[in-house]
Amino acid sequence: MTLAACAALLIGIFAYVFYVPRAAEEQHQKTRLEFLRERKDVVYENLRDLNFEYSAGKYLEEEYLAQRALLENEAAEMLAEMETLESMKDTDSTIA
Amino acid sequence: MSLLRRTFDVELARIWGQIALACLLLIVTVGAGDTSARFNDLGHRMMCTCGCNQILLECNHVGCTVSTQMRGELQASLDRGDNNNLVLQGFVQKYGPTVLAAPLQSGFDLVAWITPGIIFVLATLATALLARRWKHSAVAPEAMAEGPHMDDLRERVRKETEI
Amino acid sequence: MPTFGSFALLLALVLCAYNLIAGAIALRQMAVGRGAQYAPERLAETARRAGIASFIAVTAAAFALVWCSFTNDFSVAYILHHSNRALPGAYKFSALWSGQEGSLLLWAWLLAAYGFVLRARHKVDVKLTAYASTILAGIQVFFVLLLNFAAPPFALVQGAVPTDGFGLNPLLQYPEMVIHPPMLYLGYVGFSVPFAFALGALMMRYPGEKWIHITRRWTMVTWLFLTCGIFLGAHWAYSVLGWGGYWGWDPVENASLMPWLTGTAFLHSVMMQEKRGMMKTWNVWLIFTTFLLTLLGTDLTRSGLVSSVHAFAQSSIGDWFHAFMFLVLAVCLYTYFRQRDHLQVEHHLESLVSRESSFLFNNLVLLAACFTILWGTLFPIISEYVQGSKVTVGAPFYNRVALPIGLFLLFLTGIGPVLAWRSTSLKSIRRNFILPTIVGLVTAIVLMILGIHPWQDQGTFYSLVAFSLAAMVTTAIFSEFLRGARVIQRHTGKNIVASMLQLTHRNTRRYGGYIVHLGVVIILIGIAGAAFNQSKEQEMGYHDTMTLGPYRLVCQSYTQDSNANYDSEYALLDVYKGNQFIGRMAPERRFYHASEQTSTMVANHSTLERDLYVVYEGRSQETDKPIIKVFINPLVAWIWIGVMVIVFGTLVALTPNLEAAMVARRGGHSPGVIAADSKASHAAGGGQG
Repeated sequence: MTLAACAALLIGIFAYVFYVPRAAEEQHQKTRLEFLRERKDVVYENLRDLNFEYSAGKYLEEEYLAQRALLENEAAEMLAEMETLESMKDTDSTIA
Repeated sequence: MSLLRRTFDVELARIWGQIALACLLLIVTVGAGDTSARFNDLGHRMMCTCGCNQILLECNHVGCTVSTQMRGELQASLDRGDNNNLVLQGFVQKYGPTVLAAPLQSGFDLVAWITPGIIFVLATLATALLARRWKHSAVAPEAMAEGPHMDDLRERVRKETEI
Repeated sequence: MPTFGSFALLLALVLCAYNLIAGAIALRQMAVGRGAQYAPERLAETARRAGIASFIAVTAAAFALVWCSFTNDFSVAYILHHSNRALPGAYKFSALWSGQEGSLLLWAWLLAAYGFVLRARHKVDVKLTAYASTILAGIQVFFVLLLNFAAPPFALVQGAVPTDGFGLNPLLQYPEMVIHPPMLYLGYVGFSVPFAFALGALMMRYPGEKWIHITRRWTMVTWLFLTCGIFLGAHWAYSVLGWGGYWGWDPVENASLMPWLTGTAFLHSVMMQEKRGMMKTWNVWLIFTTFLLTLLGTDLTRSGLVSSVHAFAQSSIGDWFHAFMFLVLAVCLYTYFRQRDHLQVEHHLESLVSRESSFLFNNLVLLAACFTILWGTLFPIISEYVQGSKVTVGAPFYNRVALPIGLFLLFLTGIGPVLAWRSTSLKSIRRNFILPTIVGLVTAIVLMILGIHPWQDQGTFYSLVAFSLAAMVTTAIFSEFLRGARVIQRHTGKNIVASMLQLTHRNTRRYGGYIVHLGVVIILIGIAGAAFNQSKEQEMGYHDTMTLGPYRLVCQSYTQDSNANYDSEYALLDVYKGNQFIGRMAPERRFYHASEQTSTMVANHSTLERDLYVVYEGRSQETDKPIIKVFINPLVAWIWIGVMVIVFGTLVALTPNLEAAMVARRGGHSPGVIAADSKASHAAGGGQG
């Protein structure tokens, strides 16, 4: 009985581990575009946070305007780079 | 007028001095209460040595003869009129240094008490210095990229992040 | 069944080792770009599957041990020493973690379970998960090695098999012991996951901070388990040990508190990395340290390095733990020095008056508290090394050294939310902080008028400071909710309560966090009550009376009872408050047949104001009357309420934000995109943290 249980466990597990379908999940390196998308989300989040905290009375107006300009600029630069990369991708696919 | 003012100041200083002395006496005499308070205080500064790892007055093992005997000894030394130091020394001599619930505030044991404080002060200083350095080394914000397209993008960002 | 269990453990070792080796080879091949002919993706997939299968194998072993316990298989030495026929079913189950070998098996099972979830959810980020899975497999190998060679749970009894077991330690025969150890272990073991992700992200030079987003829930859940585990332990000590307290600064209690402190620091400072790309090196080392402290905690519990009330779990596996800790530290140091250029910060501190600097100081204080506890725990060993004699570092040391740190932390809890990210003007601080300060000061004055005089003694001083700070922090938290709700109200026109709910739902992590802070404040109020504890001990025969505080206890009877598991002695005490009958209490003392040990069953009448805590200490040798010890412990119930508030707050923080939940409900996105959207869609509620 014990032997049968051990054998069943062994066979079941080995079948599961080594019977791998052909198309295993691919591990790809994160692209610059994906990285920029993530960064943009974070900067957007920081901007919303800034706007909200200003409405809640945590910033003086001049501090708020300066901070907002900085963050908006950072986000705009990322958007510009993302646009460039996306247009390059489109061109590549058209050529292909 | 100024003499009157000076006399008033001296008088004020004297009153403050008396208040400070009274406070000091109050602080110094705190804890020097009656025997039962001292029993409670000293009993909480020692461990039961039966191996239960509990404070002497908190050991409640059934039939723990060790803590019962130790409490008796503590009461006896208080009845004899021993001061706190003498009581604790007597216990250390009989049961060894582990009978004290906390290290002494002298000799090498003092290291136990002062190290956390020193580390905390050093860490605070280091953090303050680090924060100052970071603040000074903060790079000046990059100049805003110019051009109508960048302005459009900034406008888009503003719209997408409005509350 | 023991044979099956042993086989399952051996199989688990093979599977974990395969996951480690094959996973490492596949990652290496992919890193150097030499893998086309070897199909490293398929190798990595078999490694991942081996990791998943290791969960099945360890589950089979755990099942086998529980089976042995329930079928009274005393041929297994572990069951013989930790169970007996008359033991109730729930405790037969808890026998799994009541001794060295079983608790290591539980540890390995939980680790495998965490690994199972991590590996099953690998599509979140296949490459990063492959690194984390391989690192986790390395940790699994260590624990399964221990189970196979150093502390085998299925070792058989030599010679004739006894007909009954030696029983479970009576201290462990209490309902909380069925959940306290698993909860604590879930916390300890859980930190392996953020550790594995952090180390993996550093090894592979993961671009960006997304790994923090991926591990955020893991870390919060782990932290919650550890918090619950610690407080369940405190409640168990309060209910079973019968000395009237809940925290004795025992080395093992300290060992659980240390990773909690560094884990709490990590939860805070990681927000700076996520939002602003700051403190990268610090965060990596915080999580490394937290993981190492969980190992140190286990080592302290088991190696007998320091004396502890948890001595029932001791054995000689300390050397294995020391070796593993050194190995982990070496791997961490090597990886850090090789990849430290990857940890360049993106932003610097802009102002000393900002949320960032409050996190910096909160980290400093949490780490100072952790160091103090570590120092106190290890000082007996240091003293023995330097002076040749051990000293005891007990409650008086910690109460004096750790309390001020705790109060400072409470103060920071009040200040933090008032500060804004990047920089806050002093004018806005004044505006937002003036009300909490006034409330704190008024509380102090009112309490002094009511008779809490800080000059009375140190305990009273600290409790007055704690109550005042608690009032200040509570006001600060409520003002923060109110300020945010008003913004929502302006935009939506909803009433203030609905606005508060919407505010919380829009940014669950931040406002859930504030609820957690409120829970901490409530706990500290409960702890501060200890300054006013009272106790009295008295022999109580029939109709004898004892008075303590507002209570009068009258002994109605005292008697004995017996069942298959234990004999008991108890007294029946009627309790009155003034002339009002409160109820009947029955403090009890049990003598367990199998283990020949006694334990206390405390009777406790708990109200918000105070606990009436009654202990049956035994019978007087002279008069044969029961000796009853009564404690009045003010505000203890607040501690347990505070824990529930923390649980609630953490659950709120774990809930997806409103927009993220709506996006998820709408569907149409892949899971990865939803995760990204959840960050992007925190609209009016402000950002995270």
